[in-house]
Amino acid sequence: MTLDRSKAPEFKIPQNITLTHPNKLTLKNGINLYFIHTPHIDAVKLEVITEANKHLLPSGKALVPFFTLHMLLEGTKTMGSAEIDSFFDHYASEVNVISGFEQSGMSLLTTKKHFMEVLPVFRSLFTEAVFPEKELAKRKSQKELTISIQREETGARANQLYRKALFGKEHPYGFVGEEVDVQNVFRQDLVDFYQTSLMVNPEIYITGNLSDAQVEAIAKNFEDLTVLDMEGTLPDYDIYPERRIAENRDKAVQSSLRLGQHLISKTHPDYHALTVFNTILGGYFGSRLIKNIREDKGHTYGIYSSIGSLRLSDYWIVMADVQKGNADLVIDEVYTEIDKLQQHHVGTDELETVRNYMIGHFLSSFSSAFDLISRFKNVNQAGLSFDFYDEQLAFIRQFTADDVQKVAQRYFNKNGILEVVVG
Amino acid sequence: MIAYERFVLDNGLEVLVHEDHTTKMAVLNILYKVGSRNEVIGKTGLAHYFEHLMFGGSKNVPVFDTALEKVGGECNAFTNTDITNYYTTVPAINIETAFWLESDRMLHLNLSDKTIDTQKKVVIEEFKQRYLNQPYGNAFHLVRDMAFDRHPYRWPTIGQSLEDVENYNRQDVEEFYLTHYRPDNAVMVVAGDIMLEQAKQLSKKWFESIPSGNIPKKTIEKEPVQIRKKSKIYTADVPTDSLYKVYHIPGRLQPKYTECDLITDILGFGRSSLLEQQLVKNTDVFATANAYVMGNVDPGLMVFNGKMEKGKTAEEAEQLLDQLVQDFIQTPIEEATLDKVKNQAEAMKTFEGVQLLNRAMNLAYYAHLGDAELYQTEYEKKTAIPAADIQKAAKEILTEENASVLYYKKS
Repeated sequence: MTLDRSKAPEFKIPQNITLTHPNKLTLKNGINLYFIHTPHIDAVKLEVITEANKHLLPSGKALVPFFTLHMLLEGTKTMGSAEIDSFFDHYASEVNVISGFEQSGMSLLTTKKHFMEVLPVFRSLFTEAVFPEKELAKRKSQKELTISIQREETGARANQLYRKALFGKEHPYGFVGEEVDVQNVFRQDLVDFYQTSLMVNPEIYITGNLSDAQVEAIAKNFEDLTVLDMEGTLPDYDIYPERRIAENRDKAVQSSLRLGQHLISKTHPDYHALTVFNTILGGYFGSRLIKNIREDKGHTYGIYSSIGSLRLSDYWIVMADVQKGNADLVIDEVYTEIDKLQQHHVGTDELETVRNYMIGHFLSSFSSAFDLISRFKNVNQAGLSFDFYDEQLAFIRQFTADDVQKVAQRYFNKNGILEVVVG
Repeated sequence: MIAYERFVLDNGLEVLVHEDHTTKMAVLNILYKVGSRNEVIGKTGLAHYFEHLMFGGSKNVPVFDTALEKVGGECNAFTNTDITNYYTTVPAINIETAFWLESDRMLHLNLSDKTIDTQKKVVIEEFKQRYLNQPYGNAFHLVRDMAFDRHPYRWPTIGQSLEDVENYNRQDVEEFYLTHYRPDNAVMVVAGDIMLEQAKQLSKKWFESIPSGNIPKKTIEKEPVQIRKKSKIYTADVPTDSLYKVYHIPGRLQPKYTECDLITDILGFGRSSLLEQQLVKNTDVFATANAYVMGNVDPGLMVFNGKMEKGKTAEEAEQLLDQLVQDFIQTPIEEATLDKVKNQAEAMKTFEGVQLLNRAMNLAYYAHLGDAELYQTEYEKKTAIPAADIQKAAKEILTEENASVLYYKKS
């Protein structure tokens, strides 16, 4: 029998997708610990995440959280910097700084085999750090260099300007670090921040093949941390007065462009529809933007839109590096694509494609325990539970063209979209 | 070791199956044994550009991505000097669609002039985005061009120049496809929530009728042994000097490659490495420093790279690096250092195993080297090498006449 290749194989929509909920433990000091057991995988990931950040500090000291976290590995009361490095490397364990808009923390990646050895030393970083001057001086000069390199990169620079435009330069999220901000950080600032601000509402997330006794050991290690319950006041966003920021670079061979705006909170009833809208516009390889600007016109290697996650209210961004001289043309095409989604229903075929793609992607993005915990963290930090994803999946299974068109009309107006072009 | 079963179809396609029923996803990974090492002067970057064309539609599939997205799947690919690897992730219940799509584009790619032209533009933008519009972005174009005289590792996978990309024609593309994109030049890995028997049946159904290749590959020019140090000064508008010093090393499966891998592990891997501790933390010359081997199939390079603190020069940095390398050659390696490196090699395997896709790619990669078992045996070999052998290899490899240096200087 000859194979008829013109006929696509039958396919099915995955049903009965269930998400494993992490176990939750509340330590004596109030810290919530979330744990997912991975019986087949011996990698272990432990994250300690707090809400300490720039907003707790005067504006000239915005880099203090960054340096405080990076200096935790540079010496404790009992171990010098080189000794700490040798210790974690010997046990093939990686300690990394977590530093985001709204979070500070440290993560430990290790193996079941070495976990119990490295745990107490990892724990000591949160209370025993001594912040030696010599190591701080090196960190500062490295940071200054990074800042000057990023200023040269059109993409990195565009990201900075986009944040500034979206949140305002006085706002902690809009802050762009300069060399002078590095010079303005002193050892005592770090010591103070470490003692008075770092442990604001910490949470612990763990994934790994750990026994109950080992999870108990983690709890024991962290239950004596002094936890701070502190409400920093976050100033209101101060959106840049002009809709467009452009920085010309004669030598650049491309223009980095960023478009975007504030969105709504994850708790808003329109949120899931906006996720679908974003996917259709620029959220996957079959998106309108990829098809038009890359696959049809060849103006760029990649153009994507995405939704940035924040506790109170999310934001939206379109990113691309395009042929120099074509930035405006590409921006106009983005508006044309938004306009089409406002004016017309998405056709049946495309609707089916994006629906099935999103279901598959959903299944895939929860397929390992390590993915699962990071998805959980996202919603947990916004004060939501896994129900958020169950609702999202239910929405994906049944949304209509009308749902997409409505949010396109309700939330997008080209006169309200910020534009950044560097290059 | 990653568990797998292996069979070979009559047309030469090697298939490996890795079952993992803890997930509801499946992966179809196809590795073609072609990379920029199979290119010639004037047509550099063709292997990578061709990877773009593989998404341009085949006889029975007008739009590759849409057909896959419709069943909940995603596909991407990468090209390097030695291989081109395509990986599809899809809900396991729809794995047959991946077989259909991959077999159709192996059997009969169908390229319009529009696709050929547009993807040139896309690759040119990729070239600019990654190499020309970044500070130090062209460094490896310069390093490779200096270090190699004959072998195609002289240019990066993206290509030597934009002109080469602009000048490919339909004939280049068709010849490349018929030479390299044949079942007997590929390794396929099926992984995830799928049974061996089903994988066998689907492999036969969709791939067995694809004819083997009959165009011989061109021989790849051998790189002559370097006999004296090479160096180059390049000046650009960058924030600070950067130093690139490279040494020729054996190919991946040749004697002493593993020793070289260990040399860079000790010198450059992790915060406790010698480069980090001695050059970065304890001098005011290096802001960053790292070392690694490129891991190529043919003889490749060991790379040392660092960025200088402001006001310090790449030339003074080289002196410090040379001193450190000399000390390393002359001082016996401590047992603790070897233990650390072994622990890291072991943990690396654990970390790599977390994602199904990584396991599939590793199986394909090692099968392409000659035997998937190499994934395990290379690790065992690496962790059994005595300190004296590492030092002996260092003495042989890390010599001035074997080195090429790029002083990437701030104007």
